[in-house]
Amino acid sequence: MNDLTTALGEAWRLLLSGDAEIWEIILRTLAISLCATALAMILGVPLGYGLARGRFPGRTLVLGMVNTAMGMPPVVVGLVVWLFFTRSGPFGGSGLLYTPQAMVLAQFLIATPLVIGFSAASIQSLPPALPDLLTSLGAGRWRRLWLLSREARLGLLAAVMAGFGAVISEVGASMTVGGNLRGSTRVLTTAIVTVTGRGEMATAIAYGLILLVLAFAVTLILTFVQQRRDA
Amino acid sequence: MSDVGLHQVSFQRDGRTVLDVESLRFPSRSMTAVLGPNGAGKTTLLRLVAGLERPAAGHITIGGERLSRDGAPRTALALSDAVFVRGTVRRNLDLGLALRDVPMAEREIRVRDAADECGITDLLDRPARQLSSGEAQRVNLARALCLRAEVILLDEPLAAVDRLTRRALLDDLPRLLRAAGATVILVTHDREEAFRLGERIVVMVGGQVRAEGARRDLLMAPPDADTAGLLGFLLLEDADGPVAVAPGELRAGPGAGGPQVGFTLQVADVLDLGRQRLVTGTIGGRPVELTLPEKAPSPEKGAMFPVHARSVVRLR
Amino acid sequence: MRILPPLPPLLLVLVACAVSADNRTEIILATTTSAYETGLLDTLIDQFTASTGIEVKPIAVGSGAALMMAERGDADATLTHDTTGEARYVAAGHLVEGRRLMHNDFLLVGPAADPAGAAGITDAVEAMRRVAARGPFVSRGDGSGTESRELALWQEAGVSADSVHGRVETGQGMSATLYVANDRQAYTLVDRATWLTLGNRVDLVPLSEGDPRLRNDYSVYLVNPERHPGTRAAPARKFLEFMVSRAAQRVIAGFGRERLGGQLFIPDVLDE
Repeated sequence: MNDLTTALGEAWRLLLSGDAEIWEIILRTLAISLCATALAMILGVPLGYGLARGRFPGRTLVLGMVNTAMGMPPVVVGLVVWLFFTRSGPFGGSGLLYTPQAMVLAQFLIATPLVIGFSAASIQSLPPALPDLLTSLGAGRWRRLWLLSREARLGLLAAVMAGFGAVISEVGASMTVGGNLRGSTRVLTTAIVTVTGRGEMATAIAYGLILLVLAFAVTLILTFVQQRRDA
Repeated sequence: MSDVGLHQVSFQRDGRTVLDVESLRFPSRSMTAVLGPNGAGKTTLLRLVAGLERPAAGHITIGGERLSRDGAPRTALALSDAVFVRGTVRRNLDLGLALRDVPMAEREIRVRDAADECGITDLLDRPARQLSSGEAQRVNLARALCLRAEVILLDEPLAAVDRLTRRALLDDLPRLLRAAGATVILVTHDREEAFRLGERIVVMVGGQVRAEGARRDLLMAPPDADTAGLLGFLLLEDADGPVAVAPGELRAGPGAGGPQVGFTLQVADVLDLGRQRLVTGTIGGRPVELTLPEKAPSPEKGAMFPVHARSVVRLR
Repeated sequence: MRILPPLPPLLLVLVACAVSADNRTEIILATTTSAYETGLLDTLIDQFTASTGIEVKPIAVGSGAALMMAERGDADATLTHDTTGEARYVAAGHLVEGRRLMHNDFLLVGPAADPAGAAGITDAVEAMRRVAARGPFVSRGDGSGTESRELALWQEAGVSADSVHGRVETGQGMSATLYVANDRQAYTLVDRATWLTLGNRVDLVPLSEGDPRLRNDYSVYLVNPERHPGTRAAPARKFLEFMVSRAAQRVIAGFGRERLGGQLFIPDVLDE
């Protein structure tokens, strides 16, 4: 109990003291995770749409694989990315390992199956004749996709939230491919591991609280968009 | 001009030809009913004209111009099951107009007019997905009408509605469609709908056009037995094969005018054959006989017995 | 009809668990990661448990965190390699009965191209001074004994850690840090045990070694039972005695020889 109150105080102190490092870590965490989620949406929503509406051999198999990948341990994803980008790996010369870009890539790989799975489910729950209706009303391919996305908004925003929630709270992959470098790839989760390792429990809990508030704030905004009534 | 033409059009699904039309023309501003049993390719024809599908071969013209994939839409389609986007009826009506870049001020007027015509003005602010089947069908129709397209396509507009709504819509539809001044193509498997709504009738069976022409002409001379059966002719079996008897011939009496559906058999005798009953009598003065299963209601001697159009009645 | 779950057997199981947990003697050892990651500690603990029945739970953290655990009474004994840090906690009365256990040394490793020109400089402080001017340098930054030594060396070289050219902190363990240094082709300070284990997997070479200031001393301490009455001093003391016993010291001396072809740790008691 004492530790928790100390932590709350510490969290406030960190945020209010204008401590440059904590704000830097917060902004970096948000930037990396939002970027990864956005990329996952750009790739995952059309793929989810294709899986939901497409008729091709092996579709069920692909859906099964996506559903399995939704539960893939992030640290395994991180390890695979690490193996690809390490000096002796196939992309060893790219110099991407231990950069925020590599973290975006790893988080993107974690979030994409979630986005595909949730999007496919939400598109499948739409009335089957809806795409035809929109086409007959005069919607071209892109406007149709946009309107269908609006119709499937509930599920698609659940997809964003699931993807974002997974990557912002993820530590294994970020640690492995980002390296937790202070000032360049340290994010809230890896920072928590570090300060915990140092035995600074109050700071660790303070970071944890900040992470919680951050995840909550972003999800709350998305929930507001999701629950907005149709005009 | 907004006549619709199909030229050597064929369409395949899963390697099977579901539509194969040599040549078919829907004259400008005509109202045509496409009649056929399920799986005749009627809906496919409608989807091709609406641009929802591309023909495997051949092409489709509207007003002499070939239908192109990215051309501005010139048709308004009412799907058989009325699906709606989320939101109010008003939003559903407005969506097509917005997608066709109709100016905002005109959109409001058109929505109001179409709602007025179809009698759905008080539904405008209701959520579209919470309508009854009859209301939904009227909104579906209004949504197609307010587009003011040159060609209006209706797919089984009365398939999913209750009896009362169907009757009301059957009364309203001809007026509404004529007022739209468009080329109307309506697909149905129901003979009554076809007769009531189509000035012209196209009969389709197995993906092919069996007959087409003005309602009156087709009724006068159905080209084959299938067409005759679909149009409500009674098929009488002769030694030489089936003979079609038009309902009009049998409904005697003045003022019968227009096509009527249904036949009556003047029952002379009913013979019990154990599992079946043999009914003898006359239709329109012709001696006929009809076999009825045991469970069917038994006709009284000397009474008028209604005969289903699909019953096989043999000439004696 | 029985509707209730079979409560009596369930209770029995619970009681059995509680009793067995109480009966089993176990101690918590807060240990530095470097001793744990090599596998040495597991070997020693297995032997100790086999002969005494006392279970040892090693919590592998940085030396700094290990000492903090002692301060809070969360551990019964410590194994650390931060001589200056340890001295502070001994002075504050948290640690008692300390024993030198073993030692090895740190190496300055870096890219073969050696842009800073640190190769062959046996004076560790001078080598570090050169690295500081050129960099890059990857630091543990996790409050470990290795970082503590690194910071001490910068201080002796008269440079502040923040001014070291291209210095980054990983906040992670030695192996992760070594991999980052490898990827960046940077300099880093590494303990002998980790280097023997992983050195052949990275494109880095040893540049400076052998300076007495690079000596790396591992010590065990008992968490002061008078300050922290909840600790299990008796079994923990047994463990300490075992660690400096002839048998344990032999294990330390031989550990890793056949597998890695080098001595990871040099036992302190066997020497004397």
